[in-house]
Amino acid sequence: MFILKTESLTKKYGSESQPIYALRDLNMSVEAGEFVAIMGPSGSGKSTALYLMGGLDRPTSGHVWLRDKDITTMNDDALSKVRRESIGFVFQFFNLIPVLTAVENVAMPLILDGVPRPQALERAEAALKQVDLANRASHRPSELSGGQQQRAAIARALAAKPAIILADEPTGNLDSRSSDEVVAVLRRTVDDFGQTLVLVTHDPRVAAHADRIVFIKDGNIVDENRLKGADRAEQIREKLGRVAMSEG
Amino acid sequence: MNNLGQMTLMALRYLNGRRLRTALTTLAIVFGVALIFAINITLPGAIAAFTQSLSSLTGADMTITNVTGASFAPESALPLVQDVEGVAAVTGVLRRSFTLPAIGSELGSATSIEMIGIEPETMQQVRQFTISDGRFLQPDDRGAVVVPAGIAEIAPQIEIGSTFPLISAAGLRTYTVVGFSAEQGSLSQPTLYLNLPDVQAAFGQPGQINTIEIALSPGADAAAVSEAVLAALGDTYIVDGGAAGNEAFAAVQASLLVLNLMGVLALFLGAFLIFNTFRTIVIERRRDLGMLRAIGATRGQITTMILVESLLQGVIGTLIGLLLGYLMASAMIYGLAGVYRSYFSGVSLGITMSAGAVISAVALGLLTALLAGYFPARAAGRISPLDALRPPTPVSVNRATRSSLIVGIVLMVLAIVMLLAGGQTAVGGAVVFLVGMVAAAPGLIMPLARLFSPLLTLWFAREGDLARSNLQRQPGRAAITASTLMIGLAVLILMAAMVLALGQLVNTLADRNFASDVFITPPSISVYNNVLGADASLEDRLRALPEIETVASLRYASSGLDGTRLEVLGIDPATYPQVASLEFSAGSEVESFAALGEGRTAIVTGLAASTLNLEMGDEISLQTANGAQTYRIVGIGEDILTFKLATLFISQANMAADFNKTEDVLLMANFSPGVEDAAGLAAVQTVMADYPQFTVHLTGQYRQTLVDTTSAAFVIFYGLAGLILLPAALGLLNTLTINILERTREIGVIRAVGGSQRQVQRIVTAEALLLGIFGAALGVLAGVAMSYGFIGAFSALGWEVPYIFPVAGIIAAIVVGVLIALFAGILPARSAARLDIIRALQYE
Repeated sequence: MFILKTESLTKKYGSESQPIYALRDLNMSVEAGEFVAIMGPSGSGKSTALYLMGGLDRPTSGHVWLRDKDITTMNDDALSKVRRESIGFVFQFFNLIPVLTAVENVAMPLILDGVPRPQALERAEAALKQVDLANRASHRPSELSGGQQQRAAIARALAAKPAIILADEPTGNLDSRSSDEVVAVLRRTVDDFGQTLVLVTHDPRVAAHADRIVFIKDGNIVDENRLKGADRAEQIREKLGRVAMSEG
Repeated sequence: MNNLGQMTLMALRYLNGRRLRTALTTLAIVFGVALIFAINITLPGAIAAFTQSLSSLTGADMTITNVTGASFAPESALPLVQDVEGVAAVTGVLRRSFTLPAIGSELGSATSIEMIGIEPETMQQVRQFTISDGRFLQPDDRGAVVVPAGIAEIAPQIEIGSTFPLISAAGLRTYTVVGFSAEQGSLSQPTLYLNLPDVQAAFGQPGQINTIEIALSPGADAAAVSEAVLAALGDTYIVDGGAAGNEAFAAVQASLLVLNLMGVLALFLGAFLIFNTFRTIVIERRRDLGMLRAIGATRGQITTMILVESLLQGVIGTLIGLLLGYLMASAMIYGLAGVYRSYFSGVSLGITMSAGAVISAVALGLLTALLAGYFPARAAGRISPLDALRPPTPVSVNRATRSSLIVGIVLMVLAIVMLLAGGQTAVGGAVVFLVGMVAAAPGLIMPLARLFSPLLTLWFAREGDLARSNLQRQPGRAAITASTLMIGLAVLILMAAMVLALGQLVNTLADRNFASDVFITPPSISVYNNVLGADASLEDRLRALPEIETVASLRYASSGLDGTRLEVLGIDPATYPQVASLEFSAGSEVESFAALGEGRTAIVTGLAASTLNLEMGDEISLQTANGAQTYRIVGIGEDILTFKLATLFISQANMAADFNKTEDVLLMANFSPGVEDAAGLAAVQTVMADYPQFTVHLTGQYRQTLVDTTSAAFVIFYGLAGLILLPAALGLLNTLTINILERTREIGVIRAVGGSQRQVQRIVTAEALLLGIFGAALGVLAGVAMSYGFIGAFSALGWEVPYIFPVAGIIAAIVVGVLIALFAGILPARSAARLDIIRALQYE
C-alpha cells in the first residue's frame, strides 16, 4: 500500500517556445514504512520532486497522491492543512525560529494546528526525546550545535506524527560527525516507529542508510536500486558516477 | 484562532530581539497618542469649566436667559414665568463675569470676578444661602456686598466692614463687605453678591436683568416646565443656556479641532514609520515565514502573526503615549497658565480625565498600528513556502515604481489645475498635490539621486557612491522616509508663507485703519465677552475736554443668523468715519456709513459675507434680544480688529433698540487742532483714572504694539511645524538604523576587506544626507503648492491676501531638512562604524 505516489509529474519553467523541464513525467511511489533516498546530479530535479510531493510548489501537470487524496488540486488553505497534519519537512538550513526555544519550535506545527499549548509542548517534548534532545528543550537555536539544530528540526517534523517525512539535503550543512548523528536519528524513526521517509541527498554515505535509492537525471528516474552489503556507499558512488556520465 | 497566545509570545520575543528598532518604531505611536491625549484631557476640561462658569450652577432649579445673552426688562418676562404651572418662585438677576484691570486689584490674585445683582427677598425663595460670617443682603442695602468665605485665601485683609473699590461702567465705585457666603466657588473668579440696583448701576443697565432663576414646585417635571416657560416667553429666550453664545468658547473649540488635527497628522507620520519597519521585518524574516508556511501555517495565520506584532507595538506605544500625554498636559498647563488666564479669565486650566479622551487616544493609536501593519502583514501571508528552502540571499525590493510615478504625476497635474482655480478648490489642490508627491516619490528617487550624485561624489568621494547605491536598492523605503520628511518640511514652508501673508495683511490693515490720535482699549481686544466697558458718562467726559475734538466708540453684542454665530459691533455712523475706517470690498466709505444711519442696516465683514453667502442689498433676519429683525446689507468691509471674525457693524441706535446695549467697549478720539500728543494724552488720562478697565494708547504706538503682538502670536505656527518635524526626524533615524541592521553583514565585509571605521561612518552619513536632500527637495515642491493653495483659500474667506513666495521659509526648510538628516545620521553612523567585524560577518 503506497503512502505517496506521483503520476506523470511534470514541472516546466521558461517560455512556451523554449521550455525547460525540471521534471518530466515522473512516476514514483513510496510504500508505508519505507526509507527512500533520491539522488542525482545538481539540476536533475530531485529537489523539485520533493517540493511537489510536499505541496510546497504546484506542478505544471500530473498528480501527487497522498494516500487517497490528490494534493495537486487542493486550494492553499487545504494544502496548508495537509502540510500541517500529514507531512513533515526537514530542510538543509534548519530553519528554526530564532526567538523560540527548541521545544517551542518543535511544538509550532501542533500549535498552528490548534492543539492547546500545554498538550503541544508535551508532545513536542516526546518528539525531542525521540531525537535524543530532551535535555536541550529550553535552549534557543543559537545555543545549539548544527547537528542539534537539525535534530530539533527533525523532531518538529515528527511532532505532528505525519504520514511522511520529506527531507531536503538534511546533512548538507553539517560536518561528518553531526551528519552521522542526524542520519542515525532518521534511520531510527523508520526502524523503531515505522515512519515513512523520503530524503534528497548527494552524499552516498547518507543514501547508504536508505532502503531504496532512486536516481534522477534531467527530470526523470534513470535507475532504482535496493542495495545490500557493507560497501553500499561505495556502490552508490559508482552508480552515481555512471548516472552522471550517461547520455539522457 | 486559539493560537493567538503563541503568536503574542513570538511577537514579544521578536520585538525584544531588536530592542532599538522596536523602541524607535514604538516612539512613532507614542508621540501621536501623547499629543492627542494631552489635548483631549486639557481643552475639553477648559471648555466644560468655561461652560460651567457661564451657566448658573449656583443652585437654582432652572435659569432663563435671552438667546443672545442680552439683558431685558424684568416686567416683560417675570410675570409670565411666575404664572407657569410647576414654578414655585422666580427672581430676576443681573450677572456678569468680567476681567479686572491688571493692576491695583483689592482682591488679591483674582484676575476676574463675577458680579451678581439680586433681589434678596425673592432670591431667598429660589435658593438657599448659607452665610458663614456677617449677614445676608437686606433689600434696602446700597453699596453692600457679600463675598465668598474663600476670599480670605487671596485677600486676607478683607473682613466684615471692609470697603474696596471696583471698576464700573460709570467709574470706580466703593463697596462695603457685609457678609461672607459659605459658597467656595472659584478663587480665580470670586463671586460677589450685591443688590440688583447696585449692579444695574455698575453695568450701566438701569432697570435691566439678564437671568431669571426659577425654583420648581415639589414633584414638578423639569422638562415640562421648561417647555411651558418657553411657550410663554417665545423663542427669544432659552432655558439653562450659557456657553452657546460665547466667542471665547468658540475659539477654544476651534483650537481643539486644529490641535487634534495636528495629532492625527503626527499619527499619520507614525503610520508611515510602522509601515516602513514592518516591511523591513517581513523581508528579514522571509525564510522564517516561508518555513512556517512549509510546516503548514496558512496565509491567514502568517498575516495574523505580523498583525499581532504591530498591534503589540501599538499597545505598548499607546500605553506609553498616554503616560507621556499626561506629562505633556501637565507641562502645557504649567507653561500656558499665564497666557490662558489673560484670554479666558475665570477658567482655571486643569487636567480632566474622561473616558472619551482615553478611548479616542487608544483607538487612534491601535488603529494606526493595525492599519500600518496590515499591508506588510498581507505581503507576509503571500510569501511562498519555497522561500524557506532558498539559501539566504540579500533580497532587493524592486517595486513597480514606474506606475506609481505615473499616478503621482497625473495627481500633481490635476492638483496644479485645482490650485490655479483658487478658492476652496485650491486647498483640495494642495492636499492632492501632497498625495501625488507621496505616490511619485519612489519613482523620483532614482533621477534625483543621479541629479545630486556629482555633489555627493565631490563631498564624500567613493563613500557617496556606495551610499547612493544603498538607497537605490530600496527606493520604496527611501521614498517613505523622504516623504515623511517632505510632509514635515512642507508644513514648515506652509507656516512660513502663512505668517508672511497674515503679517502683510495685518500691516496693511493697521496702516490704513487707524485714523484716530488716541485709542482706548479694554483688557482684551476683539474678544469683548468678559469686558466691562463704560456707559455714556465716559464719552461725555472725554468730549467735554477742550483737547478732544471727536470721540467715537464701539459697542458689542452677540447674535446669530441661521445658526451661525455673529459678533455685532455698534458704531455711530456720524463720528466713526472721522476716527477710523474700514476696508470696503463692496460699497464705499461714504455711502455705506450714510446708509448705516437709516433704518435697520448693516455692514458685514468679508468673513461673514463668505461664510453666510451674503451680498450687497441682501436682507437678513438677524437674531436680536427682542426677536428676529430684518437688516439690509449696505456694505462689505472690515478692519484689523474684525477681519478674523464674522462680524456685523450696525448703528448704536439700532443696538440700543434691538440688543438693549449702550455700553462702550472701545473708544477712539481725535485731538483738537494744535494739541500736542503728550498734552492730549495727559488730559485723557485724567478722565481715565476713574475707568481703570481701559488702557489709553497713542494710536501710532498702539499700531506698532498690535503688529508686534500679532507677529509674536505667529510663533505658534512655527511651534506646530516643529511638532510635525519631530516624527519626521524620528522616521529618518529609524530608516537609517534599520538600513544598518539589515546590512550588518555587508558592513562587516567592507571592514574585513579593509574599510576603515571612518569610511563606514561616512557612507552612513552620506546616506542620511542624501535622504535629507531628497526630503527637502520634495518638501519644497509640496510646500510651495500647499502654501499657494491655502493662501488662495484666504481670498475665499474674504481676505485680500497677496501670495508672497516664501523664500525664507524654503531656505529654512532646506537647512532644517539637511540638519535633521545629519543629526539623525550621527547615532547610526557611529554604531555602524563600531560593529565588531567577526560578529557582523556571522549576523543573520
